Amino acid sequence: MWPKALGAGLALLTVVAATAATPPPPLPAEHLDVARLPPPSPHWIWAFDESINNETDTRLYLYDGDAHRQLGQIDGGYWPGFATSPDHKTTAIATTYLSRGSHGTRTDVIEFTDNSTLALSGEIVVPAKRAQTLPTLYNLTYSADAHLLYLTNLTPAASVTVVDVAKRSVVGEVDTDGCVLAIPSAARRISALCESGRLLTVTLDDAGHEASRKLSTPFFNVDKDPIFVQGIPTATGVMFLSFLGDVYDVDLTAAEPKFAPVWSTTTAAERGRWRPGGDQVGALHQQRSRLYVPVHRGADGSHKVGGSEIWVFDATSHQRVGRWPVDVKKYGSVVAVQVSQDGAPLLFVATENPSLLIMDAMTGRVLHVEPKMGQSLWYLMNP
Amino acid sequence: MQQRLDRWAERAARAIARRTSRRGFLSTFGSALTGAALLPLLPVMRGAVAAAAEPDARQSDANSCEYWKYCAIDGFLCGCCGGSSSTCPPGTQQSPITWIGTCHNPGDGRDYIVSYNDCCGKTSCGSCFCNRNEGERPMYRLSLNNDINWCLANENPNYHCSVSVILGVAGK
Repeated sequence: MWPKALGAGLALLTVVAATAATPPPPLPAEHLDVARLPPPSPHWIWAFDESINNETDTRLYLYDGDAHRQLGQIDGGYWPGFATSPDHKTTAIATTYLSRGSHGTRTDVIEFTDNSTLALSGEIVVPAKRAQTLPTLYNLTYSADAHLLYLTNLTPAASVTVVDVAKRSVVGEVDTDGCVLAIPSAARRISALCESGRLLTVTLDDAGHEASRKLSTPFFNVDKDPIFVQGIPTATGVMFLSFLGDVYDVDLTAAEPKFAPVWSTTTAAERGRWRPGGDQVGALHQQRSRLYVPVHRGADGSHKVGGSEIWVFDATSHQRVGRWPVDVKKYGSVVAVQVSQDGAPLLFVATENPSLLIMDAMTGRVLHVEPKMGQSLWYLMNP
Repeated sequence: MQQRLDRWAERAARAIARRTSRRGFLSTFGSALTGAALLPLLPVMRGAVAAAAEPDARQSDANSCEYWKYCAIDGFLCGCCGGSSSTCPPGTQQSPITWIGTCHNPGDGRDYIVSYNDCCGKTSCGSCFCNRNEGERPMYRLSLNNDINWCLANENPNYHCSVSVILGVAGK
């Protein structure tokens, strides 16, 4: 056997030597080009990176949840607000620049990016008073007809700058009397959260100027169980989670808001022990009525602690239908969640280390993990 | 603008009043106003409790997030950025708007009123990030919120780091 094996080995070496002696044909010359985006997919996600160690350089990464790769980036400047236009063709970013990078003259501006190319398509300079705060989906918002943009201001006086998108001009400013955010509804309404636990709703005229305003009755207890400002869009308005995990569903389809009966994500035994937390504390698949909430074990003051589990609820029956532990040791806790709105939804999960997890939104199965994405993924937005 | 600032300051004062006894409020607010000459322009009460942490770090290591004075701080500790727990790093500017918290010092058993100031004018320090939120509340309760950039009223609104300055012993 041995001589036979030796002969075969020698023959192989001969072949290898011959192969080495004949190099493969050279690679063809390459042509430098700029990549074009493929057709948009509901499985794309915008992942906001606060760039915590250099916050003048935040970003929005566009990521493909099927191809598992980053498609591109929009620069976010300093503590930006961001919004997708109702036709999904444009991303608007409200941000702040100083003329010499870290110092110099301040300019606040809304920048528009063409979502088909990721190239800037325009800008509107706005009064230098926009709220520099952590992201929500309501710091900068479009009116339903896309004619207006609403920008939350904080100087610390609270107001909303109204912008005419088509004319690329500032229409005016609405004093929100201490109430914050610009939650849009109907063609010309915005609502803002108030310190009293009420919702201020301002109706604008066609030109974007205030026509009327009304304060709701208090709908949550500011002292005993405040709600997170990271509201979740619903088909009829917005949903808020409270620190203790109660759900406040606000219908904004009529001139005055309607508040659905409050329900809880926790059982009596869990209440106060398990809590929602993180930077983006919930996501809703509107058609399937599935609510995803990152939760952790914690006490009062832990509302920014990320989730060690994701709880899934039927937002219609209020039943918990899933309880998905996350490997916190491996990925860090969950600080943001978002779900695609299609028929085969993906759940996107940002963690503190930071990784981006792509999960089957119906089963919780982890389909892919994108490790170490940016510095600090604090918010996820559907394109 | 001034009216709005006044309204905001009034709400801040009311927030203090709600969270303290009348005597405590007066002594606290008095301390804050005294401190305002040197530190905060618009002091804001920030209720807080000491976090459960190892006593050593809470008492001795001013660059540890567990240090007792940082019970409601959210940002980079200035002690790691060229300043200290009560001084801004060279070349930065202190925020004229700030808030006040009450932290328990395990070393002497007293509760202290502390002023949280942001130091501004340079980009993020990037060292010793500390995020403790006892008593912190969302943005609609601005006087209790640490998610906004408190350098927002500075000529240069860049946030660099945060300090925690003792203003006095908290009244009972």
